[in-house]
Formats: sequence, C-alpha cells, structure tokens
Amino acid sequence: MSTATTSKNPASSPASSSGSGLSFLRVLKSEWIKITTVPSTVILLAITVVVMVGLAALAAWGTAQIVTEFGGGAGSPEAAQAGPPAADSLVPEIPASGLFFGQLLIASLAVVLIASEWGTGMIRSTFSAVPKRIPALLAKNLLIALISFVVGAGAAFISFLVAQPILGSADLTLSLDDDGVLASILNTGTCLALIAVFAMAIGTLLRNTAGGVVTAIGIIFVLPLVVAIVENLADWIPDAARFLPSNAGTQLVTAGPIADGALTQLQGGLVLAAWAAVLLIASLIVTKKRDV
Amino acid sequence: MIEASGLSKRYGDKTAVNNISFTVQPGKVTGFLGPNGAGKSTTMRMIVGLDRPTSGRVLVNGKPYARHKAPLREVGALLDAKAVHTKRSAYNHLRAMAATHGISAKRVNEVIELTGLGPVAKKRVGGFSLGMGQRLGIASALLGDPHTVILDEPVNGLDPEGVLWVRHLARGLAAEGRTVFLSSHLMSEMAQTADHLIVIGRGQIIADAPIAEIIAGQNKVRVLVRTDSPRELLEALTGPGVSGVEKESGLLEVTGAEPRTIAEAALDRRILVYELTPLQVSLEDAYMELTRDDVEYRSQDLPPELTAAGTASGKGK
Repeated sequence: MSTATTSKNPASSPASSSGSGLSFLRVLKSEWIKITTVPSTVILLAITVVVMVGLAALAAWGTAQIVTEFGGGAGSPEAAQAGPPAADSLVPEIPASGLFFGQLLIASLAVVLIASEWGTGMIRSTFSAVPKRIPALLAKNLLIALISFVVGAGAAFISFLVAQPILGSADLTLSLDDDGVLASILNTGTCLALIAVFAMAIGTLLRNTAGGVVTAIGIIFVLPLVVAIVENLADWIPDAARFLPSNAGTQLVTAGPIADGALTQLQGGLVLAAWAAVLLIASLIVTKKRDV
Repeated sequence: MIEASGLSKRYGDKTAVNNISFTVQPGKVTGFLGPNGAGKSTTMRMIVGLDRPTSGRVLVNGKPYARHKAPLREVGALLDAKAVHTKRSAYNHLRAMAATHGISAKRVNEVIELTGLGPVAKKRVGGFSLGMGQRLGIASALLGDPHTVILDEPVNGLDPEGVLWVRHLARGLAAEGRTVFLSSHLMSEMAQTADHLIVIGRGQIIADAPIAEIIAGQNKVRVLVRTDSPRELLEALTGPGVSGVEKESGLLEVTGAEPRTIAEAALDRRILVYELTPLQVSLEDAYMELTRDDVEYRSQDLPPELTAAGTASGKGK
C-alpha cells in the first residue's frame, strides 16, 4: 500500500528514527516513574518504615521492662513457673513486630496505586501505551513487590538495630546469628511483598480505591478477628483459619519453635504466595478482557 | 490509515455502534461527526483497543492496534481529557508515557513546547483548566510522533486561540502525510478543518464523503425572491430540478436555480424583482438534515449547541 508507506515516514518526524518500541524493561521503567512521581506514595512508604520501627522499639522496650521487673530468662525457675511463652523467647521476633501495621499500610498503598489509575482515568493512558495490558500490570506488581520487600526487610533490619541497645539494658541479647533472626527479618519483607501483590490484585479487580482498601483490610485484618470469635463453633474453623492470608503471613516471620498444628515458615509463605498468585492471575485475566 | 469493518459494540441491551465500516485515509483530515451519544467515542476507543468490539474489527496501519511493536508510534490518541493521574505533574506524566517506548526526554520537551504547556509542565495535572488538560492530552497523543492521530473532541474547553491552533495542527499533520481522525459534534468546526466527513448517528454511518460533496449533495441552491408577480415568475422558472414555494405574499423561495438564472428569467418576462437573496447552505444545515432522525438525546426542540451553531453561521449570512 503506497499511501500507508508514505505515511510511515513523514518528512518531519523528529523521533521516529530510533528503534524504539515496547519492551518489558521499558514498561518497568515507566511504572517506576509513575510510582515515584506521586508524592503520597513516597510519603506512605516512609510512614510505613517509621511505624514499623517504632512498634519494634516499643516491643523491645516492653520486653526489657518485663524481664527487668520479673526476670524472664528461659532457664530461670520463675519463668518456668509463669508458663509459656517466656518473655525472652519473643526476642528473636522483635524486629518483625511492625509486621501487622506494615501489612495494613502496604496493602492500602498497593490498592491505591492501581485503583487510582481507574479513578483518575490514567488507566486509559496506560493501556493505550501498553495495549496488551498484562505487561503493564505485571510490571506494577513486580515493582510494588520489590519495594515492599525492601521496605519490609529494611524496616525490620532498622528495628533490629534499634532494639539491640534497648534489649541490652535488660541484659537480653539479639544477634543476627541467633536462630531464625535473620530469616525473620528477611521474611518480614517477603510477607509484605506477597501482601502487596494480594492487595494490588484486589484493587485491580475492584477498580475502586475505597472499595479495594476496605476489602483488602477486611480480608487481612477483620476476617481473622471474626474467625477468632467464632472458632469454637466448629472444629474445622481453627483449621481453616491457619490458611487466612494474614495468619499464614505471620507464620513467615516466626523465629522460635512452631506451635502444634501451626504452619511452618515455609508452609505459611507458600499459602500466602498461593493467595497472591490466584488473585493476581484472576486480575490479569479479568483486566485483559475488560473495557477501560 | 484506519480500516473498520463490520464494527459493533453493545453494552447490554444498548447498541452503541452498529455494524459500521469505514476507512480513514492518510494525508487528509477526516472529521467524525455526530450528535452526542452517536457512538463516536466508543468507535475511537475500539480503534486503540480500550473497548473490545462485540463483533467486527478495526485495523490501524494494517494491524490491530495491540499487535504493533510500538503502538504509540502508530497511533496517538486524545480520547478523554481525563486520562491522567491528577496528582502527577504534566511533565512526569509524559515522561512515564514516553518511557514505555523508549522515547527520549528531548521529545517530551518538544511536545511540551509544541502544545504550549511549558509554564505549567511541572504543576500537578489536578489543577489544570479544561483547556490545559486538553493540551496535555494532545501532547500525549503526539509523543510517539505517530502516523495516525486520533483526537476526540479536541477543541472542547479551548479558547479561540487554542481552537485555531488545533485546526492548524490537524491540517499540518495531514499535510505531512499522516492520518488525522477528528471527532466533533460542532459542524462549524468541521467545516473549517476536515477534508472528508464520516457522519454517525445512533451508531450507524449516515454519510461518508468529501466535505464538499456532503454540502452539495444534501442541499441545492436556495434563493429568496421578492417580487410583485410571484406566480408568473414561478411559471417562468419551473423546470427540471427547479422548484419554488410562495412563503408569504410576494416572497418566493426558489430551489435549484442560481440567482442569475432567476434574474434573467425575470428580465425576459419584464417582471419586477426587488430582492434576490441566495441562502447560504451551511454544513450545519446539511448535518441537521442528515441526522434529523438520528439524534439520540433530543431536547424539546433541538440540542442547544446545534441551534446556537445554526443561528450563528446559518442565518448570519
């Protein structure tokens, strides 16, 4: 078609020379620009770190207080009498103390990042530039997962550094060499990364910021509470409750021995990953078909 | 080049676009004209794959939009002024769009200059006026220096200077050999910008022809004649293709004869004529005639913007 050919190379096309086209790396870069150029995102991430570290410091201080007042060494006879858990058995998990709040903030952020694109109409620009859609969603999910991991593990590591001197005042020690401490710090990041993907999928499916945040937080926080209230009604309820996303995620950061019937770190991680994966796939399929 | 064939879109029971086929050629400005709700925006969204056709298909430069390796280089579209995150600056929005295709920062600055966004480029889009939002949308559309440019109601919210600018821009892009597809519900705008018109009403194509042909084809010359002997004059004039009615005593409206022909006929018969007014056929008139039965949201009388436009240029002359 000669007409089409002429239109391909208009005489004055300043930018059409370079071999530029879509690639996943470029879509990643675009999504990175989008995430970092909305001020509220950066602010929310900073708040997440501060809150998580603050909660860990509080937990460390509380533990130190208890041990100073009542003693709490696992070997001490008082502790044995007080029954489990001894205060100092919680020490290895102190860096992960902010996990619950971290989940709350990261889940909200993940929902906002995607649902606001629908809210503002930005999604039409996004899908015009990336009409296959899935690469854009995958890039966004990948970035929010990476950011959440870094924020989660970073906050847990800062918490570790902050907690050390506080615990030291009660002669408690916390070291990266202790059993499970390093894993717990890293898995704080893993848990937040999986929660982020889980929440972003909910935001993608619902396309609505308020609805998405309420739903994600409902599933992560309210559902376990409701289940805890009704768990005596039937035998299967506590069994099933272990598989709720937040309960499974919490198992990821355990550093001590696993309680009877509870999921191990790996099992907890896999369960949460399964939640995230199923919702992510559902959100990709639905978005691919949907009009925007 | 845009080629739609058998394109339909239904939302539930409602048919927005009903089995339409058309081609938009490169090198000229094609106007997409229709009343509100006629299916213009839906059609444009289907072209860039935002809406999935219920049936039929539409190709851009020979392929479905999503199949292109560099979609933004094929088609630049202004579909909706509100397709931007309100908390992001115009500059960062364009940078994010550009990044998907590896388009340089230089080009981002170029389109900012081209669209006159310079002074507000670093401000949040949320605070933009309708006109500025429109300019940002046009900047996004031009970012990839695309072969095909689609602009949905581009002059909405623009000041007169902006309207003129869009008109020149569209003509300039077409002159460079690009395909330019422009929607509007304003006839007067189309009359000055488009070479070719596709008129749509209630999801169906009513006309698809060069603009001159639409004006000529729909309406013949009409002349108002004031004379003391209307009947005599009518007899003298009436022939193939010429007709006339006496609108009031001594006032004829003659259709199909040029003023000079009428004057000559009157002179031959020694009939006194003291007014000969050619009635300008505007695109509005042609359009109103075309879409008379296809206005989706008919107000009591006529949609206000149509009445206003009709008064301005239809009766003004």
